[in-house]
Amino acid sequence: MLRFELTTQLIRLRTLIALICLAAVPVAAGLSFASSAGHRNGSQDGLFGASPYSALNHTMASLEFICPLLLPIVVALLAATIASADRDWGILRYLYVAPVTRDRLLAAKLGAAALATVVALAAVLAAGLVAGVVIFGWHPFHIIGAADLTTGETAGRVLAAVGYTLLCMLAMAGIALTLGLLLPRGAEALAVAIAFVVLASILNGQHTLHAVAVALPVHYWQNWVGLFDPAGASGMGLGVVVQLGWIAGCVASCWTILARRDPAA
Amino acid sequence: MPDIILADALSKRYGRQQAVQRLSFGVAAGQICALLGPNGAGKTSTMRMLVGLSRPDTGSVRIAGVPVRLGAPVLRRVGVLIDGPAFIPHRTGAANLRLLWTAAGRSWPPPGLTEALDLAGLGPAIDRKVKGYSMGMKQRLMLAQALMRQPDVLILDEPATGLDPAEVRALRQHLAARAAAGAAVLISSHQLAEVQMLASHLVVMNRGQLVAEGALDDLLGGAGTLEDAYLAMIEGHDRAAL
Repeated sequence: MLRFELTTQLIRLRTLIALICLAAVPVAAGLSFASSAGHRNGSQDGLFGASPYSALNHTMASLEFICPLLLPIVVALLAATIASADRDWGILRYLYVAPVTRDRLLAAKLGAAALATVVALAAVLAAGLVAGVVIFGWHPFHIIGAADLTTGETAGRVLAAVGYTLLCMLAMAGIALTLGLLLPRGAEALAVAIAFVVLASILNGQHTLHAVAVALPVHYWQNWVGLFDPAGASGMGLGVVVQLGWIAGCVASCWTILARRDPAA
Repeated sequence: MPDIILADALSKRYGRQQAVQRLSFGVAAGQICALLGPNGAGKTSTMRMLVGLSRPDTGSVRIAGVPVRLGAPVLRRVGVLIDGPAFIPHRTGAANLRLLWTAAGRSWPPPGLTEALDLAGLGPAIDRKVKGYSMGMKQRLMLAQALMRQPDVLILDEPATGLDPAEVRALRQHLAARAAAGAAVLISSHQLAEVQMLASHLVVMNRGQLVAEGALDDLLGGAGTLEDAYLAMIEGHDRAAL
Protein backbone atom coordinates (compact mmCIF):
# COMPACT_ATOMS: atom_id res chain seq x y z
CA MET A 1 0.00 0.00 0.00
CA LEU A 2 2.93 2.35 0.71
CA ARG A 3 4.22 1.59 -2.78
CA PHE A 4 0.80 2.50 -4.15
CA GLU A 5 0.93 5.93 -2.50
CA LEU A 6 4.54 6.53 -3.53
CA THR A 7 4.15 5.47 -7.16
CA THR A 8 0.94 7.44 -7.62
CA GLN A 9 2.18 10.63 -5.98
CA LEU A 10 5.96 10.95 -6.12
CA ILE A 11 6.27 9.90 -9.78
CA ARG A 12 4.08 12.75 -10.98
CA LEU A 13 4.87 15.73 -13.15
CA ARG A 14 3.57 18.24 -10.60
CA THR A 15 5.69 16.63 -7.86
CA LEU A 16 8.80 16.79 -10.04
CA ILE A 17 8.08 20.44 -10.91
CA ALA A 18 7.65 21.30 -7.22
CA LEU A 19 10.95 19.57 -6.35
CA ILE A 20 12.73 21.32 -9.23
CA CYS A 21 11.41 24.67 -7.96
CA LEU A 22 12.81 23.85 -4.52
CA ALA A 23 16.17 22.85 -5.98
CA ALA A 24 16.31 25.91 -8.22
CA VAL A 25 16.47 28.32 -5.28
CA PRO A 26 19.91 27.28 -3.94
CA VAL A 27 21.24 27.11 -7.50
CA ALA A 28 19.97 30.60 -8.36
CA ALA A 29 21.23 32.00 -5.05
CA GLY A 30 24.65 30.43 -5.60
CA LEU A 31 24.92 31.91 -9.08
CA SER A 32 23.94 35.36 -7.86
CA PHE A 33 26.65 35.29 -5.15
CA ALA A 34 29.30 33.63 -7.32
CA SER A 35 31.36 36.82 -7.55
CA SER A 36 31.67 36.87 -3.73
CA ALA A 37 33.14 33.36 -3.48
CA GLY A 38 35.44 33.14 -0.46
CA HIS A 39 34.28 36.50 0.90
CA ARG A 40 31.48 37.84 3.07
CA ASN A 41 28.20 38.44 1.27
CA GLY A 42 27.98 42.24 1.46
CA SER A 43 27.34 43.43 4.98
CA GLN A 44 24.96 40.61 5.91
CA ASP A 45 25.38 38.67 9.16
CA GLY A 46 24.74 35.06 10.07
CA LEU A 47 24.38 32.27 7.53
CA PHE A 48 23.45 34.63 4.68
CA GLY A 49 26.61 36.69 5.22
CA ALA A 50 28.83 33.61 5.33
CA SER A 51 27.17 31.70 2.47
CA PRO A 52 29.92 32.32 -0.17
CA TYR A 53 32.64 30.81 2.06
CA SER A 54 31.94 27.13 1.43
CA ALA A 55 29.53 24.58 -0.01
CA LEU A 56 28.09 23.74 3.40
CA ASN A 57 27.75 27.42 4.31
CA HIS A 58 25.75 27.90 1.12
CA THR A 59 23.64 24.79 1.79
CA MET A 60 22.63 25.89 5.27
CA ALA A 61 22.00 29.47 4.13
CA SER A 62 19.74 28.09 1.41
CA LEU A 63 17.86 26.06 4.00
CA GLU A 64 17.40 29.13 6.20
CA PHE A 65 16.05 31.06 3.21
CA ILE A 66 13.69 28.37 1.98
CA CYS A 67 12.47 26.98 5.29
CA PRO A 68 9.90 29.61 6.34
CA LEU A 69 7.71 29.55 3.22
CA LEU A 70 8.63 27.65 0.05
CA LEU A 71 9.61 24.35 1.68
CA PRO A 72 6.46 24.13 3.87
CA ILE A 73 4.30 24.98 0.84
CA VAL A 74 5.83 22.16 -1.20
CA VAL A 75 5.53 19.79 1.77
CA ALA A 76 1.88 20.83 2.15
CA LEU A 77 1.29 20.23 -1.56
CA LEU A 78 2.71 16.71 -1.39
CA ALA A 79 1.01 15.74 1.88
CA ALA A 80 -2.41 17.19 0.98
CA THR A 81 -2.30 15.35 -2.34
CA ILE A 82 -1.30 12.07 -0.70
CA ALA A 83 -4.25 12.45 1.66
CA SER A 84 -6.89 13.33 -0.89
CA ALA A 85 -5.94 12.17 -4.40
CA ASP A 86 -7.49 8.70 -4.14
CA ARG A 87 -10.79 10.30 -3.06
CA ASP A 88 -10.55 12.98 -5.77
CA TRP A 89 -10.00 10.30 -8.44
CA GLY A 90 -12.74 8.06 -6.98
CA ILE A 91 -10.44 5.07 -6.47
CA LEU A 92 -10.72 5.14 -2.69
CA ARG A 93 -13.79 2.88 -2.91
CA TYR A 94 -11.84 0.41 -5.06
CA LEU A 95 -8.99 0.39 -2.53
CA TYR A 96 -11.42 -0.40 0.28
CA VAL A 97 -12.93 -3.31 -1.69
CA ALA A 98 -9.45 -4.50 -2.84
CA PRO A 99 -9.58 -4.88 0.26
CA VAL A 100 -7.43 -2.41 2.18
CA THR A 101 -8.31 -1.63 5.81
CA ARG A 102 -8.48 1.89 7.20
CA ASP A 103 -5.45 1.24 9.39
CA ARG A 104 -3.35 0.14 6.42
CA LEU A 105 -4.53 3.05 4.35
CA LEU A 106 -3.62 5.53 7.09
CA ALA A 107 -0.25 3.88 7.73
CA ALA A 108 0.55 4.10 3.99
CA LYS A 109 -0.47 7.75 3.83
CA LEU A 110 1.59 8.62 6.91
CA GLY A 111 4.61 6.77 5.54
CA ALA A 112 4.28 8.34 2.11
CA ALA A 113 3.86 11.85 3.56
CA ALA A 114 6.95 11.35 5.75
CA LEU A 115 8.98 10.09 2.80
CA ALA A 116 7.78 12.94 0.59
CA THR A 117 8.90 15.38 3.29
CA VAL A 118 12.33 13.76 3.39
CA VAL A 119 12.57 13.98 -0.42
CA ALA A 120 11.57 17.67 -0.43
CA LEU A 121 14.15 18.52 2.22
CA ALA A 122 16.77 16.41 0.46
CA ALA A 123 16.12 18.29 -2.80
CA VAL A 124 17.04 21.58 -1.09
CA LEU A 125 20.11 20.16 0.62
CA ALA A 126 21.38 18.30 -2.43
CA ALA A 127 20.91 21.29 -4.73
CA GLY A 128 22.57 23.58 -2.19
CA LEU A 129 25.49 21.22 -1.74
CA VAL A 130 26.09 20.59 -5.44
CA ALA A 131 25.75 24.27 -6.34
CA GLY A 132 27.96 25.19 -3.38
CA VAL A 133 30.73 22.76 -4.30
CA VAL A 134 30.74 23.93 -7.92
CA ILE A 135 30.54 27.67 -7.20
CA PHE A 136 32.22 28.13 -3.80
CA GLY A 137 34.25 24.93 -3.32
CA TRP A 138 34.62 22.64 -0.30
CA HIS A 139 36.09 24.58 2.63
CA PRO A 140 35.72 24.60 6.44
CA PHE A 141 32.41 25.95 7.72
CA HIS A 142 32.82 29.68 8.33
CA ILE A 143 31.00 31.59 11.04
CA ILE A 144 31.17 35.37 10.97
CA GLY A 145 32.69 36.66 14.20
CA ALA A 146 34.04 33.25 15.27
CA ALA A 147 36.59 30.62 14.30
CA ASP A 148 35.84 28.14 11.52
CA LEU A 149 34.12 24.98 12.73
CA THR A 150 36.06 21.72 12.88
CA THR A 151 34.88 18.80 10.78
CA GLY A 152 33.30 17.15 13.81
CA GLU A 153 31.54 20.34 14.93
CA THR A 154 30.29 20.93 11.39
CA ALA A 155 28.91 17.40 11.05
CA GLY A 156 27.17 17.55 14.42
CA ARG A 157 25.57 20.93 13.89
CA VAL A 158 24.52 20.26 10.29
CA LEU A 159 22.93 16.96 11.31
CA ALA A 160 21.15 18.62 14.22
CA ALA A 161 19.88 21.42 11.98
CA VAL A 162 18.69 19.05 9.27
CA GLY A 163 17.03 16.70 11.78
CA TYR A 164 15.30 19.62 13.48
CA THR A 165 14.07 21.04 10.17
CA LEU A 166 12.84 17.60 9.12
CA LEU A 167 10.82 17.36 12.34
CA CYS A 168 9.36 20.83 11.70
CA MET A 169 8.40 19.91 8.15
CA LEU A 170 6.86 16.63 9.35
CA ALA A 171 4.58 18.73 11.55
CA MET A 172 3.61 20.73 8.46
CA ALA A 173 3.03 17.50 6.54
CA GLY A 174 0.83 16.28 9.38
CA ILE A 175 -1.29 19.42 9.22
CA ALA A 176 -1.69 19.16 5.43
CA LEU A 177 -2.45 15.43 5.65
CA THR A 178 -5.17 16.08 8.23
CA LEU A 179 -6.69 18.81 6.08
CA GLY A 180 -6.52 16.53 3.02
CA LEU A 181 -8.53 13.87 4.82
CA LEU A 182 -10.93 16.33 6.40
CA LEU A 183 -11.84 18.60 3.49
CA PRO A 184 -13.82 17.43 0.45
CA ARG A 185 -11.12 18.08 -2.16
CA GLY A 186 -7.32 18.18 -2.26
CA ALA A 187 -7.23 21.69 -3.73
CA GLU A 188 -9.19 23.00 -0.73
CA ALA A 189 -6.83 21.25 1.67
CA LEU A 190 -3.78 22.74 -0.06
CA ALA A 191 -5.28 26.24 -0.03
CA VAL A 192 -6.08 26.03 3.68
CA ALA A 193 -2.64 24.59 4.47
CA ILE A 194 -0.89 27.43 2.63
CA ALA A 195 -3.18 29.97 4.31
CA PHE A 196 -2.22 28.41 7.63
CA VAL A 197 1.52 28.85 6.94
CA VAL A 198 1.08 32.46 5.81
CA LEU A 199 -1.26 33.44 8.66
CA ALA A 200 0.88 31.67 11.24
CA SER A 201 3.94 33.51 9.92
CA ILE A 202 2.12 36.85 10.19
CA LEU A 203 0.92 36.01 13.70
CA ASN A 204 4.44 34.98 14.62
CA GLY A 205 5.67 38.46 13.71
CA GLN A 206 3.16 40.22 16.00
CA HIS A 207 4.69 40.72 19.45
CA THR A 208 1.29 41.42 20.97
CA LEU A 209 0.15 37.95 19.92
CA HIS A 210 3.14 36.13 21.39
CA ALA A 211 0.91 33.93 23.56
CA VAL A 212 -0.77 32.60 20.43
CA ALA A 213 2.41 32.35 18.37
CA VAL A 214 4.19 30.06 20.84
CA ALA A 215 1.53 27.40 20.25
CA LEU A 216 2.11 27.43 16.50
CA PRO A 217 4.71 25.16 14.90
CA VAL A 218 5.91 28.00 12.65
CA HIS A 219 7.21 29.91 15.70
CA TYR A 220 10.07 27.45 16.16
CA TRP A 221 11.06 26.64 12.56
CA GLN A 222 14.12 28.93 12.45
CA ASN A 223 15.49 28.12 15.93
CA TRP A 224 18.21 25.87 14.45
CA VAL A 225 19.90 28.91 12.83
CA GLY A 226 21.49 29.68 16.21
CA LEU A 227 23.61 26.54 15.84
CA PHE A 228 25.69 28.54 13.33
CA ASP A 229 25.82 31.75 15.33
CA PRO A 230 28.47 32.67 17.93
CA ALA A 231 25.63 33.32 20.42
CA GLY A 232 24.44 29.71 20.09
CA ALA A 233 20.99 28.17 19.59
CA SER A 234 18.08 28.51 21.98
CA GLY A 235 14.56 27.13 22.12
CA MET A 236 15.25 24.03 20.08
CA GLY A 237 14.16 21.70 22.90
CA LEU A 238 10.81 23.43 23.23
CA GLY A 239 10.58 23.47 19.43
CA VAL A 240 10.99 19.70 19.32
CA VAL A 241 8.28 19.25 21.96
CA VAL A 242 5.83 21.52 20.12
CA GLN A 243 6.46 19.85 16.74
CA LEU A 244 6.02 16.38 18.28
CA GLY A 245 2.80 17.57 19.88
CA TRP A 246 1.46 18.78 16.54
CA ILE A 247 2.51 15.55 14.82
CA ALA A 248 0.81 13.43 17.50
CA GLY A 249 -2.32 15.59 17.32
CA CYS A 250 -2.45 15.34 13.53
CA VAL A 251 -1.98 11.55 13.49
CA ALA A 252 -4.77 11.18 16.06
CA SER A 253 -7.00 13.50 14.02
CA CYS A 254 -6.28 11.58 10.80
CA TRP A 255 -7.19 8.30 12.45
CA THR A 256 -10.39 9.77 13.91
CA ILE A 257 -11.45 11.26 10.57
CA LEU A 258 -10.87 8.01 8.68
CA ALA A 259 -12.54 5.89 11.37
CA ARG A 260 -15.68 8.02 11.66
CA ARG A 261 -16.27 8.87 8.02
CA ASP A 262 -18.57 6.74 5.94
CA PRO A 263 -16.64 6.49 2.64
CA ALA A 264 -19.88 6.48 0.65
CA ALA A 265 -21.35 9.53 2.43
CA MET B 1 -28.39 -24.07 -1.37
CA PRO B 2 -27.07 -21.50 1.16
CA ASP B 3 -26.92 -17.86 0.13
CA ILE B 4 -23.40 -16.58 -0.64
CA ILE B 5 -24.60 -12.96 -0.53
CA LEU B 6 -27.02 -12.35 2.30
CA ALA B 7 -28.63 -9.00 3.11
CA ASP B 8 -30.66 -9.09 6.30
CA ALA B 9 -33.07 -6.24 7.18
CA LEU B 10 -30.79 -3.53 5.79
CA SER B 11 -31.76 0.07 6.43
CA LYS B 12 -29.85 3.21 5.52
CA ARG B 13 -30.82 6.84 5.91
CA TYR B 14 -28.95 9.85 4.45
CA GLY B 15 -30.18 12.90 6.32
CA ARG B 16 -33.95 13.02 5.92
CA GLN B 17 -33.99 10.55 3.04
CA GLN B 18 -34.60 6.90 3.80
CA ALA B 19 -32.48 5.30 1.07
CA VAL B 20 -33.06 1.66 2.05
CA GLN B 21 -35.69 0.26 4.42
CA ARG B 22 -35.52 -3.21 5.99
CA LEU B 23 -34.30 -4.88 2.80
CA SER B 24 -33.61 -8.60 2.92
CA PHE B 25 -32.58 -10.92 0.12
CA GLY B 26 -30.01 -13.54 -0.76
CA VAL B 27 -28.02 -14.74 -3.76
CA ALA B 28 -26.90 -18.37 -3.87
CA ALA B 29 -23.94 -19.88 -5.69
CA GLY B 30 -24.63 -20.30 -9.39
CA GLN B 31 -27.30 -17.62 -9.45
CA ILE B 32 -27.21 -14.41 -11.47
CA CYS B 33 -29.44 -12.02 -9.58
CA ALA B 34 -30.48 -8.67 -11.05
CA LEU B 35 -31.17 -5.83 -8.64
CA LEU B 36 -33.79 -3.70 -10.37
CA GLY B 37 -35.55 -0.48 -9.54
CA PRO B 38 -36.12 3.05 -10.78
CA ASN B 39 -33.53 5.77 -10.22
CA GLY B 40 -33.41 6.59 -6.50
CA ALA B 41 -34.82 3.20 -5.50
CA GLY B 42 -31.78 2.49 -3.32
CA LYS B 43 -29.90 0.03 -5.54
CA THR B 44 -26.49 1.69 -5.30
CA SER B 45 -26.95 2.36 -1.56
CA THR B 46 -27.68 -1.34 -1.14
CA MET B 47 -24.62 -2.35 -3.16
CA ARG B 48 -22.41 -0.02 -1.13
CA MET B 49 -23.59 -1.71 2.05
CA LEU B 50 -23.01 -5.15 0.51
CA VAL B 51 -19.30 -4.39 -0.03
CA GLY B 52 -18.77 -2.49 3.23
CA LEU B 53 -18.48 0.99 1.71
CA SER B 54 -21.47 2.14 3.69
CA ARG B 55 -22.41 1.11 7.22
CA PRO B 56 -26.07 0.04 7.53
CA ASP B 57 -28.10 1.89 10.17
CA THR B 58 -29.73 -1.45 10.96
CA GLY B 59 -29.37 -4.96 9.62
CA SER B 60 -26.34 -6.84 8.44
CA VAL B 61 -24.55 -8.20 5.37
CA ARG B 62 -22.81 -11.53 5.11
CA ILE B 63 -20.73 -12.85 2.24
CA ALA B 64 -19.97 -16.57 2.38
CA GLY B 65 -21.23 -16.47 5.96
CA VAL B 66 -18.74 -13.79 7.02
CA PRO B 67 -19.97 -10.37 8.23
CA VAL B 68 -18.89 -7.59 5.87
CA ARG B 69 -17.32 -4.36 7.04
CA LEU B 70 -15.03 -1.82 5.39
CA GLY B 71 -11.88 -3.54 4.15
CA ALA B 72 -12.97 -6.97 5.42
CA PRO B 73 -10.69 -9.84 4.23
CA VAL B 74 -13.70 -11.67 2.72
CA LEU B 75 -13.82 -8.93 0.05
CA ARG B 76 -10.81 -10.65 -1.57
CA ARG B 77 -13.40 -13.10 -2.90
CA VAL B 78 -15.55 -10.35 -4.39
CA GLY B 79 -15.23 -8.61 -7.75
CA VAL B 80 -16.74 -5.15 -7.52
CA LEU B 81 -17.85 -2.45 -9.93
CA ILE B 82 -19.65 0.34 -8.12
CA ASP B 83 -20.43 4.01 -8.79
CA GLY B 84 -18.75 3.76 -12.20
CA PRO B 85 -15.11 3.34 -13.16
CA ALA B 86 -12.32 5.20 -11.36
CA PHE B 87 -8.59 5.16 -12.02
CA ILE B 88 -5.35 7.05 -11.50
CA PRO B 89 -5.49 9.20 -14.63
CA HIS B 90 -1.75 9.70 -15.18
CA ARG B 91 -0.97 5.97 -15.05
CA THR B 92 -1.50 3.37 -17.78
CA GLY B 93 -4.36 0.89 -17.76
CA ALA B 94 -1.94 -1.94 -16.95
CA ALA B 95 -0.33 0.06 -14.13
CA ASN B 96 -3.75 0.80 -12.66
CA LEU B 97 -4.70 -2.87 -12.64
CA ARG B 98 -1.39 -3.74 -11.02
CA LEU B 99 -1.65 -1.01 -8.37
CA LEU B 100 -5.23 -1.93 -7.41
CA TRP B 101 -4.27 -5.61 -7.18
CA THR B 102 -1.06 -5.18 -5.20
CA ALA B 103 -2.58 -2.56 -2.86
CA ALA B 104 -4.13 -5.47 -0.95
CA GLY B 105 -0.71 -7.05 -0.47
CA ARG B 106 -1.05 -9.64 -3.23
CA SER B 107 1.69 -10.63 -5.64
CA TRP B 108 1.25 -9.84 -9.32
CA PRO B 109 -0.24 -11.21 -11.59
CA PRO B 110 -3.78 -12.18 -10.50
CA PRO B 111 -5.08 -15.62 -11.54
CA GLY B 112 -7.62 -14.42 -14.10
CA LEU B 113 -5.64 -11.61 -15.70
CA THR B 114 -5.39 -12.99 -19.23
CA GLU B 115 -9.07 -13.87 -19.43
CA ALA B 116 -10.09 -10.50 -17.96
CA LEU B 117 -7.88 -8.59 -20.41
CA ASP B 118 -9.32 -10.60 -23.30
CA LEU B 119 -12.80 -9.58 -22.21
CA ALA B 120 -11.73 -5.94 -21.83
CA GLY B 121 -10.32 -6.06 -25.35
CA LEU B 122 -8.19 -2.97 -24.90
CA GLY B 123 -5.27 -4.31 -26.95
CA PRO B 124 -2.25 -1.97 -27.04
CA ALA B 125 -4.32 0.74 -25.30
CA ILE B 126 -3.73 -1.09 -22.03
CA ASP B 127 -0.29 0.55 -22.00
CA ARG B 128 -1.68 4.06 -22.57
CA LYS B 129 -2.50 6.54 -19.82
CA VAL B 130 -6.08 6.16 -18.61
CA LYS B 131 -6.81 9.88 -18.95
CA GLY B 132 -6.92 9.32 -22.73
CA TYR B 133 -9.50 6.50 -22.49
CA SER B 134 -13.11 6.79 -23.66
CA MET B 135 -15.92 6.07 -21.19
CA GLY B 136 -16.39 2.61 -22.69
CA MET B 137 -12.69 1.80 -22.37
CA LYS B 138 -12.70 2.85 -18.72
CA GLN B 139 -15.74 0.67 -18.09
CA ARG B 140 -14.05 -2.34 -19.72
CA LEU B 141 -10.86 -1.77 -17.73
CA MET B 142 -12.91 -1.58 -14.54
CA LEU B 143 -14.64 -4.84 -15.46
CA ALA B 144 -11.20 -6.39 -16.02
CA GLN B 145 -10.25 -5.19 -12.54
CA ALA B 146 -13.32 -6.89 -11.05
CA LEU B 147 -12.89 -10.14 -13.01
CA MET B 148 -9.10 -10.62 -12.92
CA ARG B 149 -9.22 -11.92 -9.36
CA GLN B 150 -11.47 -14.82 -10.49
CA PRO B 151 -13.95 -14.04 -7.73
CA ASP B 152 -16.63 -16.40 -6.53
CA VAL B 153 -18.81 -13.38 -5.77
CA LEU B 154 -19.47 -10.56 -8.24
CA ILE B 155 -21.27 -7.34 -7.33
CA LEU B 156 -21.56 -5.15 -10.40
CA ASP B 157 -23.39 -1.83 -10.56
CA GLU B 158 -24.53 -1.10 -14.14
CA PRO B 159 -21.78 -3.26 -15.71
CA ALA B 160 -22.97 -2.78 -19.33
CA THR B 161 -22.89 1.03 -19.26
CA GLY B 162 -20.88 2.35 -22.21
CA LEU B 163 -20.38 -1.06 -23.84
CA ASP B 164 -21.31 -1.75 -27.46
CA PRO B 165 -23.60 -4.72 -28.35
CA ALA B 166 -20.72 -7.12 -29.01
CA GLU B 167 -19.09 -6.20 -25.70
CA VAL B 168 -22.40 -6.62 -23.87
CA ARG B 169 -22.76 -10.09 -25.36
CA ALA B 170 -19.20 -11.03 -24.37
CA LEU B 171 -19.84 -9.78 -20.83
CA ARG B 172 -23.09 -11.75 -20.66
CA GLN B 173 -21.33 -14.92 -21.73
CA HIS B 174 -18.52 -14.35 -19.25
CA LEU B 175 -20.90 -13.78 -16.33
CA ALA B 176 -22.92 -16.84 -17.30
CA ALA B 177 -19.72 -18.90 -17.34
CA ARG B 178 -18.70 -17.54 -13.92
CA ALA B 179 -22.12 -18.42 -12.51
CA ALA B 180 -21.96 -21.88 -14.07
CA ALA B 181 -18.62 -22.33 -12.32
CA GLY B 182 -20.35 -21.62 -8.99
CA ALA B 183 -20.04 -17.87 -8.56
CA ALA B 184 -22.82 -15.77 -7.05
CA VAL B 185 -23.45 -12.76 -9.29
CA LEU B 186 -25.42 -9.66 -8.37
CA ILE B 187 -25.86 -6.94 -10.98
CA SER B 188 -27.90 -3.78 -11.07
CA SER B 189 -29.16 -2.59 -14.42
CA HIS B 190 -31.81 -0.56 -16.22
CA GLN B 191 -31.38 -2.60 -19.42
CA LEU B 192 -34.28 -4.96 -18.87
CA ALA B 193 -34.00 -6.84 -22.17
CA GLU B 194 -30.39 -7.62 -21.33
CA VAL B 195 -31.33 -8.64 -17.80
CA GLN B 196 -33.99 -10.99 -19.13
CA MET B 197 -31.35 -12.79 -21.21
CA LEU B 198 -28.85 -13.00 -18.36
CA ALA B 199 -30.47 -13.19 -14.93
CA SER B 200 -31.81 -16.26 -13.19
CA HIS B 201 -33.25 -14.33 -10.24
CA LEU B 202 -34.57 -10.83 -9.54
CA VAL B 203 -34.71 -8.45 -6.62
CA VAL B 204 -36.98 -5.50 -7.38
CA MET B 205 -36.77 -2.35 -5.25
CA ASN B 206 -38.79 0.83 -5.14
CA ARG B 207 -38.50 3.76 -2.71
CA GLY B 208 -35.89 1.84 -0.71
CA GLN B 209 -38.18 -1.13 -0.12
CA LEU B 210 -38.32 -4.66 -1.47
CA VAL B 211 -41.08 -5.01 -4.05
CA ALA B 212 -40.48 -8.56 -5.24
CA GLU B 213 -37.85 -11.27 -5.02
CA GLY B 214 -37.54 -14.65 -6.66
CA ALA B 215 -36.70 -16.65 -9.77
CA LEU B 216 -37.04 -14.75 -13.03
CA ASP B 217 -39.57 -17.19 -14.50
CA ASP B 218 -41.77 -17.01 -11.39
CA LEU B 219 -41.76 -13.21 -11.37
CA LEU B 220 -42.46 -12.95 -15.09
CA GLY B 221 -45.68 -14.92 -14.63
CA GLY B 222 -48.04 -14.23 -17.51
CA ALA B 223 -46.22 -11.09 -18.61
CA GLY B 224 -44.50 -11.49 -21.94
CA THR B 225 -41.43 -9.46 -21.17
CA LEU B 226 -39.50 -8.44 -18.08
CA GLU B 227 -40.25 -4.83 -18.99
CA ASP B 228 -44.01 -5.44 -18.68
CA ALA B 229 -43.65 -7.37 -15.44
CA TYR B 230 -41.26 -4.83 -13.93
CA LEU B 231 -43.40 -1.81 -14.77
CA ALA B 232 -46.48 -3.54 -13.37
CA MET B 233 -44.62 -4.27 -10.14
CA ILE B 234 -43.33 -0.70 -9.74
CA GLU B 235 -46.71 0.89 -10.62
CA GLY B 236 -48.47 -1.46 -8.21
CA HIS B 237 -46.04 -0.53 -5.44
CA ASP B 238 -46.42 3.18 -6.17
CA ARG B 239 -50.22 2.89 -6.03
CA ALA B 240 -50.03 1.00 -2.74
CA ALA B 241 -47.72 3.68 -1.31
CA LEU B 242 -50.28 6.37 -2.16
